[in-house]
Amino acid sequence: MRATLDRIAAIVVKEFRHLGRDPRALLAVVITPVLQLLLFAYAVSFDVDHVPTIVVDLDHTTQSQDYLRQYQGSTFFTVVAEADDLAAIDQAFDLNQAHLAIVIEAGFGRQLAGGGTGEVAVLIDGAEPTSARISQAYTVAANQLYNQQLTRQWADAQGLDLSSLGMLEPRVRTWYNPERRSSDFLIPGLMVVIIAIVTVQQTAVTLVRERDLGTEEHLEVSPLRKGELMVAKLLPWTAIAFVDVAVIIGLGRWLFGVPLRGDLGTLALGSALFVFAALGLGLLVSAIAPTTDTANILALLIAFLPSFLLSGLAFPLDQIPTVLQWLSYAFPARFMVTISRVVFLKGGGFTQVWPELTALAGYAVAMITISSVLHGRRAGR
Amino acid sequence: MTPPNPPLAVQATGLGRSFGDTVAVAELDLAVPTGAVFGLLGPDGAGKSTLIRMLATVLTPNTGSAAVFGHSVTGDRAAVKPLIGYMSQRFSMYPDLTVAENLEFFARVRGVSRSERNRRAATLLESMGLAEFSARQAQHLSGGMKQKLMLAATLMHAPQLLLLDEPTTGVDPVSRREFWRILAGLHQDGTTVIVATPYMDEAERCTQIAFIDRGRVQNQGTPAQIKAWVPGRLFEILAADPRAALAALRGLPEAASPHLFGDVVRVLWQRPDDPASTIVPALAGVGDVQVRPAEMDMESAFAFLAESATQAGAA
Repeated sequence: MRATLDRIAAIVVKEFRHLGRDPRALLAVVITPVLQLLLFAYAVSFDVDHVPTIVVDLDHTTQSQDYLRQYQGSTFFTVVAEADDLAAIDQAFDLNQAHLAIVIEAGFGRQLAGGGTGEVAVLIDGAEPTSARISQAYTVAANQLYNQQLTRQWADAQGLDLSSLGMLEPRVRTWYNPERRSSDFLIPGLMVVIIAIVTVQQTAVTLVRERDLGTEEHLEVSPLRKGELMVAKLLPWTAIAFVDVAVIIGLGRWLFGVPLRGDLGTLALGSALFVFAALGLGLLVSAIAPTTDTANILALLIAFLPSFLLSGLAFPLDQIPTVLQWLSYAFPARFMVTISRVVFLKGGGFTQVWPELTALAGYAVAMITISSVLHGRRAGR
Repeated sequence: MTPPNPPLAVQATGLGRSFGDTVAVAELDLAVPTGAVFGLLGPDGAGKSTLIRMLATVLTPNTGSAAVFGHSVTGDRAAVKPLIGYMSQRFSMYPDLTVAENLEFFARVRGVSRSERNRRAATLLESMGLAEFSARQAQHLSGGMKQKLMLAATLMHAPQLLLLDEPTTGVDPVSRREFWRILAGLHQDGTTVIVATPYMDEAERCTQIAFIDRGRVQNQGTPAQIKAWVPGRLFEILAADPRAALAALRGLPEAASPHLFGDVVRVLWQRPDDPASTIVPALAGVGDVQVRPAEMDMESAFAFLAESATQAGAA
């Protein structure tokens, strides 16, 4: 046992020396995560407000002006242009100046005043479906509000008391992220993706590098066991990944105001297991990839795309095709994204996420075992 | 039956290894006595590296068996590994680690205690003239120093059997001599050394040699025995145009294995008479030639053995 620990320590020390001698690698593992977090958190935002809106008022009445005021006064819309003909809408959409157009037909005011239906055309730029859907919802809501307002005005004018009229009002409340800020939703997930990218990439090249250097044979001849080598290769990166986790949590809390409501211990345990699982995946790549280049590309493919697309970070997992749902279980990110969100936003702990924790632990053990076996088989060739 | 005494450091029987369709080592038998400096000679691709890597347990044989100090290299790797030190043909230390860090690492992985590591590293670096470079990164060492570093790393756990795969290839003559001085010291201390080498002068320094070709041991013995196996006497022919002389000598069946040696041609004369009486007239077309006897060395013996092996193979 002592000999085992000593051999593992020898490799851990060596790995840190490699890292210390290579400033670029050090930069890559410490600075990159911060940059990625800032980039993703600022750039990838699902928040839709200040929708650039063009209004075309063909009516020019007090009614139409009154109607348009609700767009001008709202933070959901920003009226970027007012035009008098429909061609202006084409142009504004083409130039990406506006994504929403409100067209008031001539006769709108007269219709309203005469008890008829005032017609308003709402045109939405569907190039970005998500924001289009949200813009539509905003517009529909705005129009309902305006309708209520009209009803109330009419009732007042008729001297009717609406308080006796039964009305239904849904009280919608969003839990866990009441303002539905996408940074609250994104950053716990981003943490997972960023760690996956850093760790898988780094360990993927580590065994291939030993092979390239020819040092693999020397390790072969030594009493070092495969499992010891794998564990020793994982430990330094686990430590570094933990630093990254800490930095991301810190930035998330103080820069983006993401709440950390749950049990930090559970998050730490989850992170440790996830890091082991991701590193194990990297080792697997390293054990089977013939060259450093292949290892790099494979690692990027495995770390980046599935973590992004199949983890629930960008797309809700119950909304993607069934086959992809199954496939998502092949990557550890989906478990960790769940753990991260439950702990961060729902204030959960071990009792809520133990199934995911167990899955990650199993995944990590499987990966390390498989890569030990594959690596051993390659070397014995 | 006499018991093997001294015991054998390596015993291989019917050892074979193929890579796809290429047979690297075939039905190879080898017996290396403890304490020998055993040279493996042979042309490129003869199977020397494959043999050494099988003995080092990094490559699994397809056929046959081999034992290192009685432990099977396939069945009992764990027992073999602590006994051997293996130095591969390619420089394979960590280039970004310093000399001292490389030694420290390989010794620690081998389970050498801290005090022992420090003591051995100091001794080895001192004896190899590397002491002043101990803080230098391995990638910044010269070729000879790199080889010495690898040897030092191999020696850190004091192996009983050293397996060296062309350790001095690409190293300058001074460093080579120094390298062999170190090997001579190890030999004095009783370490068994198996060394593959393409250099004939190095072969002369071995206590025993095996000449390997196409994966088999073709000849085996002391350098003196190997030289004695070569039939005929060695003569040198000096000519103004040695290449023309070589071409002409190929036509003489008595002048076996003619080959260029610097700017003279060497032949193995197969008859007991004075070769000058035959060669001078035969080379009249080439111009004035001189014939003088030469001391048989490994270079010529090797050339002859390689040639006769090729002929035997072709036949």
